Amino acid sequence: MAKLNDEAVSERLYSLNLGPQHPSTHGVLRVLLKLDGEYIVEADPIIGYGHRGHEKMAESRTYEQFMPNSSRIDYLSGLIYNHGYTLAVEKLAGIEVPERAKYIRVICAELNRISSHLLWFGTYVMDLGGFTPFLYAFDDREMILDILDRVTGSRLTYSYCRFGGVNRDIDAEFVSMTRAFVKRLRSRWSDYHNLVTKNVIFINRTRNVGVIKPELARLFGVTGPNLRGSGIGFDMRKIEPYEVYDRFQFDIPTGNNGDALDRYNVRLEEMEQSCRIIEQALDQLPDGLYRNEHVPFKVKPPKGEVYFSFESARGLTAYYLVSDGSSTPYRLHVRVPSFGNLQVLTDVLTGTMVADAISILGSIDIVVPEVDR
Amino acid sequence: MAKKDQIAQRLEQLLPQDAICRDENYRAGVILAARLTADKLRAALQACEEAGFFLECITGLDFTDAMELVYHLNCYEPGSRIALRLFCQPGDTPPSIGDIFPAALWHEREVHDFFGIQFKDNPDLRALLLPDDADYHPHLKTFGKTHAYLKWEDVYGKIK
Amino acid sequence: MWQALGNMLGADLSRLLLGLVIILAFSQLNALFLVWLERKVAGHIQLRPGPKEVGPFGLLQTIVDGIKLVGKELITPRLADRKLFVLAPVLVFMPVLVGFMVLPFSPGLIIRDMNVGLLLIFAFSTFSVLAILAGGWASNNKYALLGAIRSVAQNVAYEIPLLLSVMAVVLTVNSLRLSDIVSAQHRVWFFMLQPVAALIYLICATAETNRAPFDIPEAESELVAGFHTEYSGMRFGLFFLAEYTNMFVVCAVATALFFGGWYGPFGFQLGIPGVVWFLLKTYFLLFVIMWVRWTFPRLRFDQLMNFSWKVMIPLSLANLVVTAAVIKLI
Repeated sequence: MAKLNDEAVSERLYSLNLGPQHPSTHGVLRVLLKLDGEYIVEADPIIGYGHRGHEKMAESRTYEQFMPNSSRIDYLSGLIYNHGYTLAVEKLAGIEVPERAKYIRVICAELNRISSHLLWFGTYVMDLGGFTPFLYAFDDREMILDILDRVTGSRLTYSYCRFGGVNRDIDAEFVSMTRAFVKRLRSRWSDYHNLVTKNVIFINRTRNVGVIKPELARLFGVTGPNLRGSGIGFDMRKIEPYEVYDRFQFDIPTGNNGDALDRYNVRLEEMEQSCRIIEQALDQLPDGLYRNEHVPFKVKPPKGEVYFSFESARGLTAYYLVSDGSSTPYRLHVRVPSFGNLQVLTDVLTGTMVADAISILGSIDIVVPEVDR
Repeated sequence: MAKKDQIAQRLEQLLPQDAICRDENYRAGVILAARLTADKLRAALQACEEAGFFLECITGLDFTDAMELVYHLNCYEPGSRIALRLFCQPGDTPPSIGDIFPAALWHEREVHDFFGIQFKDNPDLRALLLPDDADYHPHLKTFGKTHAYLKWEDVYGKIK
Repeated sequence: MWQALGNMLGADLSRLLLGLVIILAFSQLNALFLVWLERKVAGHIQLRPGPKEVGPFGLLQTIVDGIKLVGKELITPRLADRKLFVLAPVLVFMPVLVGFMVLPFSPGLIIRDMNVGLLLIFAFSTFSVLAILAGGWASNNKYALLGAIRSVAQNVAYEIPLLLSVMAVVLTVNSLRLSDIVSAQHRVWFFMLQPVAALIYLICATAETNRAPFDIPEAESELVAGFHTEYSGMRFGLFFLAEYTNMFVVCAVATALFFGGWYGPFGFQLGIPGVVWFLLKTYFLLFVIMWVRWTFPRLRFDQLMNFSWKVMIPLSLANLVVTAAVIKLI
């Protein structure tokens, strides 16, 4: 777009609020747009509508009491956040985890990742006007929710992980349901590809839309499928493997251009890779304890700090935990991927059209409560 | 040369000898922790940006004797996270690094919201997560329910 | 008594009045049925049953929804242009009904077989554009205005290829009278002679009625609800009704122009009366339009406009020229 003359522009501009109540902003996000006709001249995301003070809450709760909070930060990857929090505290406190528990946690985390990506897929295509894939994706997602409900007791916000393992053991029914689910999901890929990926209208709405160059991504701290869509294969599960991720064979899909279509393809491919991880984990699942029996009732990590990072469905997430030796954290800071992913929009949205803004916003896959904490 | 060694070299040139602490075991999740002063902040971060690092987050910590800012940076290679730590007193205005890493703009706004630290030269220090008219800083230990309010040494010990 | 009334008014006028009553009744029943059909089709495409509680197969669902709509408060925004705001829904609905007058349901079932029947339909359907603009402007709402502007641009752009493709048929038959056009198809339906025109007509008809994938003016996920954001209660109901009635009219015209009207395939009526053939074909086309809506995502606005001006119009012009040449030569 040509650079517009400043005075002429400021007279023609009008501002439009996208949100906070809007069907497509996926949470209470408000983006203040300055528009010139249909083109966006300036985009200013305004957040904080969902700030609940999780980090302050952490300073007056014991480590165990914070577990439910962790899954509510990003409710779509609740189990992955549970998992990460548990790993952070276990690292600081030096708690051992039995092998079986590690595998169980990985399987559940990958199931959670798939369910998050399925929800993203459904809502993204719905934002673009195709209402039907949403219901197909939710049908598949329902199977995951049933599986996880059986063993954790919750459908969305889990508190399944405990320091030293998990709360309850999985049984043969869980294993067979998970295998059946993986089989069913794999049979769906052809449907999704025929209905959405190869659809000309969809491709026109996503190709070359919202290109994030790798340099821009680095400067804004963009991570996750957004970064991988721009070509950089940075995934914490491969770079710094935690739990038992180094025992599985899986690929990290990357894109070439960094447009919305690449990000879409990366996420669909990631679901397939998660299926691979789940299958291998189920094959390798050892017997044994599902929980370390010798963990004290109230965990008191030694004085010091730990910065533990892991890969959630949206990118690099980290818990920065500072402990003063008591059973309550001194400071718990959560580094959320959607913070950087959302901030990059101030740059990416300028010069695009309003209809593209929806497409770009959807392709970034932000969860606003995560940004707000 | 691995990026973490590159940055270690640059930081050694920039900072005094005892300001850098390297941890090969990655116990705290960082390979290198460096103690900065406000005048060296921008130069150190510029070095990180040139070495190809990205800013993961800026965290504020509140102690009785000082406040601390911790900048975590990482690059796309394994085991390369570094932490740059800066003490500041209430009323200090550390320089903003928003022009080096645009990601810092929002992180600094957040720290300002929660701790009241003003960043010099940050073009836009509006409230990020708190309401626009909030005049309190929630993450300070003097605000609301506090379980512990300690000196820096009580938590970390005598070493940096 | 009715005879006396008929004698007093004259056969022509009473036929017209009777026709008016029948149109109103038919259009309401039609809208009722179409809303139900849409929800059922949407449901089954999305692997769910759709309405099934109220009445057998959920058939009474629309009536109940209509009662609910009538009972809602008619909210007018404080700074809205009151007169236009109230007038817009009426203006959207009325012209569409006029189109019913000339639809050739069957050789004897045309209310007024005007010799410019086709022209009448398209002239009155353009009114709805004005009404949408009025509604969007009068709402005093940026979203509504954006939706209205987009709708006007879209309607103007897609009317041109619509009319051009219809012109190709008119050239073939040499008449604007709808019953003539249908009569000319007693052996071969025109979509076989004019496949390009048929396709263009169907695409443009979908765009004219603001249906997906051309439903940018009501884009739910972008502008909340486009030009009818601020409308509630029966005013919204009227917009809704108008859309479905308009859909019926364009599909009926398509049936008359391209799919043989009241004739069976290759002229074989198979004992089924003409009006039933007509309605079957119209409802089949309506089903196809609904099918398309629930399958495809939405086009971006500039892609939509580009498609019309750069693809549809040249294509329909070319089709017209070729038709004219062929007619001249044969």
